[in-house]
Amino acid sequence: MLEQELKNIWKNSSKTARISIETDRLVQEFDTNITNIQKKIRKRDVREISASVFGILIFSFLAYEIPFPITKFSCLLSILWFAYVIYKFRKSNQQNSSEKLSLPLKEQLTHKKQLLQQQLKLLNSTGYWYAGPSFITNFIFIIGLRNPADYNWTNQIAENLLPLTVNAKVGTIIGLGIFYLLVIWVHKIAAKKDVHPILKSIEAIQQQIKNE
Amino acid sequence: MRNKLGSNFEQILEENKHKIYRICRIYAATPIEPEDLFQEVIFQIWKSLPNFKGKSSIDTWVYKIAINVCLRSKMKFEKSNNKTERLDAIHFTPVTELIDHFEEEKYKYLKECIATLNESDTSIIVLYLDELSYKEIAEITGLSENHIAVKMKRIRNKLFECITPKMN
Repeated sequence: MLEQELKNIWKNSSKTARISIETDRLVQEFDTNITNIQKKIRKRDVREISASVFGILIFSFLAYEIPFPITKFSCLLSILWFAYVIYKFRKSNQQNSSEKLSLPLKEQLTHKKQLLQQQLKLLNSTGYWYAGPSFITNFIFIIGLRNPADYNWTNQIAENLLPLTVNAKVGTIIGLGIFYLLVIWVHKIAAKKDVHPILKSIEAIQQQIKNE
Repeated sequence: MRNKLGSNFEQILEENKHKIYRICRIYAATPIEPEDLFQEVIFQIWKSLPNFKGKSSIDTWVYKIAINVCLRSKMKFEKSNNKTERLDAIHFTPVTELIDHFEEEKYKYLKECIATLNESDTSIIVLYLDELSYKEIAEITGLSENHIAVKMKRIRNKLFECITPKMN
């Protein structure tokens, strides 16, 4: 008796509101929403990729212009690294947009957990794939800088911008080191604050599902 | 193709809007309103419809999306307080003249008791209260029918223990 009564209460619970949907208008609004989402995604992709493309252009110019062999070599490494970053961002964005909400709950949770674990790994390994390689190429770049006069090289802008003295080199390397440590720290915080709690919630629900 | 999709969508909404709303009412937690969740569920249905292969019934498919979206919203809520922008094409008009306050009170108790269950049990009980068979619940949750039967026995006991004193 109580069971049927509960089912009736439940069924009647949606009668508290009259739901009317203008489907044509709704479809239009959804289409606009999807277009806006796609625009946002495109903007984000452009923002992330443009920094790397800009880096590739700058280091290509420097590789061509600077005569110091070690610095030249570091520019080529930087170009490779920027290309890798573009690949990494694109791959991660593709993975994150592959949410499958029509899967059964258990499979959906497993799928979401895999996505989050990848995201967590990406954020926690910033030091290895982002900050570390970038710092190393920057370090080689700076160490490779020599006296322009020894190479008969004159470029006023570059000479003013590049750390050519020992003091300037040490200062720049320390500054870069602090900057990249900050980058690692920000990513670790993001992993801890944004991804980890959701991952924990998913694991808790998976455990609840497993229990009888 | 687009027209066919549109008319299918219209039919799906018409046939399922009340069950979606019932589920959304259970999962919505301030500041997310049931109406926001409802909107998100039908948006996801619209997005996923072209990929619907017909392997399961459309009803089961809608339930899967509703449960997954509601659960996702609950988990996301912990990290963000973003409010959804309401669409103009969906109207919720409160039916004040038909409200049975005694019935509303009972629903409040039911909701309170469902809130004492964990997320996994909540998803099972809302499907059960919607009079789905164990087979259908198993298909939606990805568990076996036996597992659902065992779980339901425990959930039912817990729910009755909670609600019986309140109802009396």
